Amino acid sequence: MDLSLKNINVTLSQKTIIQDVSLEAKAGEFIGIIGPNGSGKSTLLRTIYRVIEPTSGALLLDGTEYKKIKPAESAKKMAVVGQFNNINFDFTVLDMVMMGRTPHKSLLTTNNRSDYELTLEAISKVGLEAYADRSFATLSGGEKQRVILARALAQQPKLLVLDEPTNHLDIKYQLQLLSIVKSLNIGVLAALHDLSLAAMYCDKLYVMKAGQLVASGLPKEILTPALVQDVYEIDCDIRENPDTGYLAITYHPIHRYA
Amino acid sequence: MQQVQVPQTFSFDQAIRSQRIFLGWTTALTAGVLVSILLAVCMGPVAIAPAEALRILLFKLFHLNIGDIVTQTTRAHIDIIWQLRFPRVLLAVIAGAGLAMCGTAMQASVQNPLADPYILGISAGASLGATFSILLSSSGLLTGLPTEFWAFLGALAAALLVMALAGMGGQLSTVKMVLAGTIANALFLAFSNFIIYMASNAEGIRSVTFWTMGSLASAKWNSILLPAAGVFFCFIFFFAQSRNLNALLLGEEAATTLGISLHTVRRSVILVTALVTGLIVASCGIIGFVGLIIPHIVRGFVGSDHRRLLPASMLTGALLLLWADVLARTALPSGEMPIGIITSLIGAPFFMYVLFKNALGFVGK
Repeated sequence: MDLSLKNINVTLSQKTIIQDVSLEAKAGEFIGIIGPNGSGKSTLLRTIYRVIEPTSGALLLDGTEYKKIKPAESAKKMAVVGQFNNINFDFTVLDMVMMGRTPHKSLLTTNNRSDYELTLEAISKVGLEAYADRSFATLSGGEKQRVILARALAQQPKLLVLDEPTNHLDIKYQLQLLSIVKSLNIGVLAALHDLSLAAMYCDKLYVMKAGQLVASGLPKEILTPALVQDVYEIDCDIRENPDTGYLAITYHPIHRYA
Repeated sequence: MQQVQVPQTFSFDQAIRSQRIFLGWTTALTAGVLVSILLAVCMGPVAIAPAEALRILLFKLFHLNIGDIVTQTTRAHIDIIWQLRFPRVLLAVIAGAGLAMCGTAMQASVQNPLADPYILGISAGASLGATFSILLSSSGLLTGLPTEFWAFLGALAAALLVMALAGMGGQLSTVKMVLAGTIANALFLAFSNFIIYMASNAEGIRSVTFWTMGSLASAKWNSILLPAAGVFFCFIFFFAQSRNLNALLLGEEAATTLGISLHTVRRSVILVTALVTGLIVASCGIIGFVGLIIPHIVRGFVGSDHRRLLPASMLTGALLLLWADVLARTALPSGEMPIGIITSLIGAPFFMYVLFKNALGFVGK
């Protein structure tokens, strides 16, 4: 599924958060959005998953304007793993993941065998089979994150939107989560903090600074010490590991504070 | 795609089995309500044997004349059962079911475990309407319209005021809604206290007090029809919204990403709650605690899924209020006790017990 943003502007409480952002995500591409805290990554994603309406500009799914697509329809194609997943009421992991079937069910139908199978498959993809009847509230932050990913998978999306999905996860689960997502062969749009991981998994990177896009392209081409200095205001070395082909980024301490 | 090894306990068949168990419990609860209705109509100053009460009810409801009804029982017993106790017991069932359901839906739609049907200022609005009517009717200004009408009007006015306040300056926010409800409650309460203070009408004040603490004493056949229709519609509507209510429990953002039109769902749930609660309050005053604790207690047993939560809450609420009303009319030898006192006296300790047993289905553990 193709997602296309054309000249998006977002203003919240008279403050411009996103300025003239255009972005393309073709079917099956793994797209990363990087940038410092407050650069507008989350706001951009929230605009994409329809929590915020853009002040101006157009959003298109497969060439159709958002305004012409019902929320229930876009939810069949696009699933989201957001940043804030604390809830006031408790569900079991199974119930929680089963919620991912919501957009596919009309109001009065019950969950059938295939809903259960898809749900259990999603749970086992994130490695939480043993947790199916556990209460969501008792899980650790990382486990909760994996449950939310499972819920998104049960939604059978063509495009998965991830807002800093690796927060709270230890390095194994960071890699595991991104590998699971990569293995699905669906479109992915992810805001990421870790530049090495972004370079490792993404087909294409968009770099944001102060609400604007400042660079986009192949990770190995655009991730340079100069860009990192410009966007994050830190110094680093970036080398390609000759054995693995992955980028190795070494940050320098900030001497002012040292 | 890897082959999935699923523990047998989480298969679809297991889910079907658990659904059957739930249906079994629901049937048992329904039977409990029916038996309770029969027992409740037998209790009172004039004790009537259950067999006789059953014969009277079957005769009146289905024209089943078991043994000759005219020779087996007295006219007085028939009137007591059919004109006094049965409508009253039915009103208890209707109000209990309605309050419990509205509380359940309200907690989901404002995503707040402390929400109850009165959170939109409905209780204070209805009180003001009733106070207004009871205390000022003697002045001859308000002739013609019954207290129930004014109470319903007050409830609706409060709910609309709260929704307008909460929606001011953008989207309906749940935090603003809860705050606006608190403000409306305080404001309307102050108004009715002012009227009570200025009125110096002892008889009127007593009936206002009785009314604000809830009472089913005024139940008559023609006064229960409207609440009954409201609660019935409310159940159909909320039950149809079960999936949306479930998704709302996940938070606004998550619900949106599941394709829920958040504001449409929330507005319609709140509107239905306001109307139905208004009808209930108008016919039996303010009965606290039912709409708050029943959803929590039931959630502890059946989980947060509204397809189970709503029917179970409805039946449990009906059962609780039915027996609370039996207590209200039999506990004191001298006369009636306001039912709101009883629901709070039963509700508060039981709620505390469940809270400390950590059995509630909301996250405060």
